[in-house]
This record gives sequence, structure tokens and C-alpha cells, in this order.
Amino acid sequence: MSYGGYETLIVERQGHIGWLIFNRPEQLNAMNNLMRDELADAWLELDRDPEVRVIVHTGNGRAFQTGVDVMEIATDGIGFERYRDSMENFDVHFTAWHQHVWKPVICAVNGICAGGAFHWVADSDIVIAASDAQFFDPHVSVGQVVAIEAIGLIRRMPAEAVMRMAFVGKYERMTAQRAYELGMISQIVDPPENLREEAQKLAELIAKNSPTAMRQTKKALWGALEAGLTDACKNGATHLVDMWGHPDQEEGPKAFAEKRDPDWAQLG
Amino acid sequence: MSTTLGSYERLEVWRDGHVGWLVFDRPDAGNALDATMFRELEQAWLALDADPEVRVIVNTGNGNAFQTGLDMVQVAKDKDALRVVSRQTRDFDLRFTAWQVGVHKPVIAAVNGICAGGGLHFVADADIVIASSTATFTDPHVSVGQVSAFETIALIRRSPMESVLRMAFTGRYERMSARRAYQLGIIGQVVDPPEDLRAEAVALAEKIAKNSPTAMAVTKKALWEALERDLTDACAAGAKDLAIMWGHPDQEEGPAAFAEKREPAWTPLDHGLLDARPEELQ
Repeated sequence: MSYGGYETLIVERQGHIGWLIFNRPEQLNAMNNLMRDELADAWLELDRDPEVRVIVHTGNGRAFQTGVDVMEIATDGIGFERYRDSMENFDVHFTAWHQHVWKPVICAVNGICAGGAFHWVADSDIVIAASDAQFFDPHVSVGQVVAIEAIGLIRRMPAEAVMRMAFVGKYERMTAQRAYELGMISQIVDPPENLREEAQKLAELIAKNSPTAMRQTKKALWGALEAGLTDACKNGATHLVDMWGHPDQEEGPKAFAEKRDPDWAQLG
Repeated sequence: MSTTLGSYERLEVWRDGHVGWLVFDRPDAGNALDATMFRELEQAWLALDADPEVRVIVNTGNGNAFQTGLDMVQVAKDKDALRVVSRQTRDFDLRFTAWQVGVHKPVIAAVNGICAGGGLHFVADADIVIASSTATFTDPHVSVGQVSAFETIALIRRSPMESVLRMAFTGRYERMSARRAYQLGIIGQVVDPPEDLRAEAVALAEKIAKNSPTAMAVTKKALWEALERDLTDACAAGAKDLAIMWGHPDQEEGPAAFAEKREPAWTPLDHGLLDARPEELQ
């Protein structure tokens, strides 16, 4: 089924899997004002739909995403000023993390992933890519600063690789193979056209697990990036203990013993 | 040659030269953690840390599994036995890994087979991790309705986060190979054939045992405490740790032995040097 009302995105559901697809292929899925607004709604819509257990995020066309729509910035007379308040206050809403989505999010990088596109790589749980995907960060080549997305990335992968991308700018591209070696992504799909099928398969595996246990795990692990190790473990204990007494904790072992799929409770 | 240290039901603990061994010994139960093993682990870590002859600790398992986490049979049949662990979990006052009990000596985890769920605690909380080529890593918590927290929280500090999130969310439906764990830097060495694992662990431990016990203990303190802080604060605290070592006899002995082309005679580790914990950790 498809969720209506989006111009720059396609938002749909296949079974328990929600799909959020950038759909400005001619502009290499660059984010204009409208897309920015629609992303905020789409994440929340998928997060609130009780049928959705896992979200896959990808793009139409030859690019995954190429950052902010520079054409719009350059031509409509407002420029980057339109984003000043939201950036200065870090009050932004276009990724799953910004929107506090607690369902697992898989980012399926289908092609060029440039600049601002790293927001969605950094803010996803799992990242897979087509074998011909390419990663690069041209910010400094066009006189822009890269901050938020690279800050997110250096928490989740070797920092050297992020620094290299940040400073080499548009003059070098990282392959899917290198991204895999570095642990930025966990799967390369070849041939590239099988990406969505593989993403759906992976998402369906994940959808077999307890939605509530996954939400609590996600809260514990993302929360851990905000604190020192001991404090993170203490905060994690809260998320862990919240699950005690939940019906899924009886159902999981029972289903296992009876050799059947568990019938998990819906997210409360 | 080897000296048995203490008597345990669920563990084997011994010393061979400067290497202390802590071996999970419930091979029929995948070395799963029951109440007895939880209790014995705290004793064993503390005993090995206190033994002046032990300079490095190797942690491995008997049988096909390294560790498979909480004993689900005991959870199902005798929850009362685990009451202490439940309280320790709630308060994050767990006492069964080297990090949790504050071991000062280098710890090598030698993963001899499957490492599942709570088994990841012993990977996350070790200093060095090696594995046999047949070892696998998986985190089935969410597949049985459990939350994955402490082990994976610690792992994302030391490995690319994506791989940890993937393990946490794919649950029992995927296993990571030793080879992939090596690529990601979760482990530092793959031993093939697998039966050479303990011999390789000894070879590595003996290299480490040649280094200054005190310098290693202070280094360990500085690096693990850095995980508690932002970069600048961690460096400032690390600078204080560096200064602990200044004037220590090992700083004379190291260069002297080097100049005289002999092995250094290190001073035994003085745990008192290290026990000054930073205020915010108390």
C-alpha cells in the first residue's frame, strides 16, 4: 500500500516493511524545501503505523541522495538563510534520528551518496549498498562546512575515513567495497538492481524479532552515544528493565520451544 | 608447570608462568552463565588480578562454545537463583567481567567457538580479542523478546557501530564470522586451524608479559577511563595517569635493560597506585 500526499517522496508499505524513497531522480534526489518538510512527516507516519516494524530508506534513479538542492538555494533569492534558525538551534527534522524513530531503519544506498546524503547514512541503524554506490562529501569543494553528518559518522566508523572524505571533497569517491571494509556498511548487493529485494529480505528477517525489545535496544544504543560508558550502561539498564514483565519475554522462549514464529505484542 | 588457583564448579582457573587462565567450564551447556558461574567469575577475576605472578589473563571456554550468555534453562526453572543478578542488572552493578570488577591487568579473550548474546560481554570488556577461525558472533536477545544493552553499548565504543546495530537487530537470524569480525577490528587475530587457539593466545600473552606491569596497568586505566569522557577531558585525565608513572623504578629499568641487552626486571604491580578513581566515577 502507498501513503498519499507526497510529491518528492514515495512512501509505502510491503507487509511489515515501510519504505521511504527519495523521488526527485532528475535532481539526483537533492533536498529542496518541500522534501525537507515531507521527510519530517514521512518518518513520523511510518513510525506511527502499527503495521510497520522496520523501515527501509532508499532513492529512485542513479543517486541515493546528493544533499541540499543547490539550484533552489542559488535561484530563489533566499539562499541558505532559510535554514539559519533551524541549524543554529539544531532544530531539524529530516532524518529518522531527528524524528526519534525507534523502529529499526535500514538505509539502502542505491547510487551516488554525496554531501548531505550522509545525514541518512549516519542516522540509520543498518546500511547496505549497491555494488556501484559511491560515497563522497563535496562540501568544502563548494565553500561549505561539513559538520552534523560527519560528526555522526565519526561516532560509528573509523574517523580517518571520515576526515579524508571531508577534506578531499569532490576530488575522490569511496567505493562500496571500501565502505564495507570500514564497517560503514554491512552488505554489498551485486548486481546493483537486486538492492531493494535484498533490503526487503533483510528487513523481513529483522521484522521477526520483538518490536518492543528492538525499540528498547535502539533507545539504549543511540542513547549510549550521548554519555560516558558507565553512564550509558546505567541509562541502558533503564531501557532494559522497562522490558521486564512484557509479554514478549514469555512469548519468545515459548515460541522457540514450540518451534513456531513468535506472536509479538504490538508496540505500545 | 601450571598451578591451579582455587576451586570452582563452573570455571577452570590456573596460572602457567606469568599467564593466568580463566576458562568457562560448562561445555554441556554452551558455557551459559548460571548463578554459580556469575558468583565464581567475580572471585576468579579478583584472584587473578591479585596474584603477583600473573601479568596477563586469558579468558576462553571449554568445548564448542565460548559463551552463550544467560542460562535460559535456569531462567525458566529457577528464577529465584538469579535474583541477585537481576538486581545487579537493574542497578548496573554487575560483577562478572574484568571491566566490571576493575581488573588492572591486560585481558585477552580467546573466542573458541560461538559467542552469543551475553557472551559478547566478555568480548566487549576484554582488552584484546582473538578467535578461532570457526568462531561466530551473534546477539539473539531481540529474537526472544529481550533487550540488548550493556554488551552492545560497550561494543559500539570499540567497533564500527553499524555492525553492532545489525547484530542487535538481526538477532538469531544472522551470525558474524570470525573473518568479518577481524575485518571490522572487533578482533585482532584469527587463528587457523582452530585447535591452535590456546597456543596462539599463550604466544601473544607471553609477548605482553614482557612489558612493564605497572606501565600496562596505568595505560589500561587511561584508555578505559577515556571511554567515560569527551576527547579533551579524557586527555586531561590521561595526562594525570601519565604522571603516576613518573619516578617509578620501571622507567629506569626499561632503558637500562635495553642498553645492557637483557630482559628488564620489572617491579611487581602495586594496585594501590591505581585505586585512586576519578571523583565522577565513584
